[in-house]
Amino acid sequence: MNSWLTHHAQALKLVITRFQNNIFSNLFIALTIAVSLALPMIVYLVLSSFSGLVSTIKSDSHLSLFLKSDVTPTMIDTIHNTLATRESIKQFHFISKEDALKQLMADKNNQDIISSLTENPLPDAFFIEPAALDSAAIQQLKGDLSQLDGIENVQVDDAWLKRLGYLLTLGKKALFVLAMLLGFALFTVIGNTIRMQILTQQEEIEVSQLIGATRSFIRRPFLYSGAIYGLIGALFALMITSIVIWLFNSSVSTLAAEYQTDFSLSLPNVDVFLITCITAITIGLVSAYIAVSKSLIKSIN
Amino acid sequence: MIVLDNVTKRYPGSQDALSNASFSIDQGEMVYVTGHSGAGKSTLLKLVAAIERPSNGTVLINNQNVSKLRDSALPYIRRKFGLVFQDHKLLYNRNCYHNVALPLAINGITGADAAKRIRAALDKVGLLHKEKAMPITLSGGEQQRLAIARAVVSRPSILIADEPTGNLDKNYAGDILKLFGAFQQVGVTVIIATHDTLGSANQTHKILHLDHGRLTCQQVTADE
Repeated sequence: MNSWLTHHAQALKLVITRFQNNIFSNLFIALTIAVSLALPMIVYLVLSSFSGLVSTIKSDSHLSLFLKSDVTPTMIDTIHNTLATRESIKQFHFISKEDALKQLMADKNNQDIISSLTENPLPDAFFIEPAALDSAAIQQLKGDLSQLDGIENVQVDDAWLKRLGYLLTLGKKALFVLAMLLGFALFTVIGNTIRMQILTQQEEIEVSQLIGATRSFIRRPFLYSGAIYGLIGALFALMITSIVIWLFNSSVSTLAAEYQTDFSLSLPNVDVFLITCITAITIGLVSAYIAVSKSLIKSIN
Repeated sequence: MIVLDNVTKRYPGSQDALSNASFSIDQGEMVYVTGHSGAGKSTLLKLVAAIERPSNGTVLINNQNVSKLRDSALPYIRRKFGLVFQDHKLLYNRNCYHNVALPLAINGITGADAAKRIRAALDKVGLLHKEKAMPITLSGGEQQRLAIARAVVSRPSILIADEPTGNLDKNYAGDILKLFGAFQQVGVTVIIATHDTLGSANQTHKILHLDHGRLTCQQVTADE
């Protein structure tokens, strides 16, 4: 146990010394890694900010239930009672055709048009706020309600939300592809960097093997290197992402204010950061392991 | 105790580098492996040091059969040996001190204990005042002595040197051989490959003479 710790401390110390000796080239490598990490991170944050926006707007979405013109007060009562018993409906209110007309009359611009009408063209209507927010549940509700007696038409005003939802799904797929491709790039960058290090230390590796170094002894410093590249890359990526989001946010908020919302892009949270770190370190470790294993096979007789 | 029994080593695409060699080396012996260039001296040393496995026959090191050992066990066998390579194999990107530190690091020895041993080894070969120097600034003889310091720092029971006096002038070569003699006197087995007959120090020694991969002569000589 003690010697195991010694070996690890030794390897870590060696790696840190090597890092310090080539601080500039190592920082640039870490920046390259950071850029590959920051891109999917930014896309993810933008997407999740929009998803958040969608779910807040969705709660504003509602169904309009327009009744037939020949509907009787008893039928209205029946519909009222049916709506009151349904659990998928959060709340609803009834506006009679007379009230609707009064509301229209309240606006002076409409008065001339309305006074020229011989009868009230407006239907009685229920306005419903559904409990569930996903469009499948809303569609189900719409289908059920249109079966009721005395219903002329059911309207769902979530068409643009649906489109936004589809766009977000598309965006998530694009993010997945982007993350995979950049992950592969990361794998190559770290792998090549480790391979370069191995080349400069080929003699040392060879001598060490000849005088009794185990494979893990030789592998260990390179694994630490890979992991440290990943970790530093992730830290830089966090910085880059935060700066980019912060820069964009002032403009985004101004734009959002024009639409009467206080939307802004969210900064990376602990979860996002941890996942980025773990992914980067894992990629670093795996690519370093593969690179070293290849060089070991070559140098053993 | 090292025993080779009917050992043959063949590299792919070439003749036997060593054929049917049988001999044994006791603890504390001084052994010279002689022969012309290409006679198989280096191959024999590599087999003894568990760097190579035999194509045929058995190599026993302290009663462990090298051919039967798993790859992962070989490094631990190799640590019993101190190796001085024909081309030194010093690391030119680190100073003398850190060159000698390498075998200790492999054994997991660091810190004050390591520093003491490294200085003792450098002192033994007369390079203590050069511990901070880079190997490239050392003369050929000094580099050879540095290689010896690295070989002995982990206090191996067997010291193996491939052509340690190869490109040194006679005075230097004599110094180096005396150094090996000193190690043998404290109980270390010393095996030296050499193509010339400088190997006549003032001790009883065994000679293994190779000719085209064959062990042609095995003798124990007691020089005056």
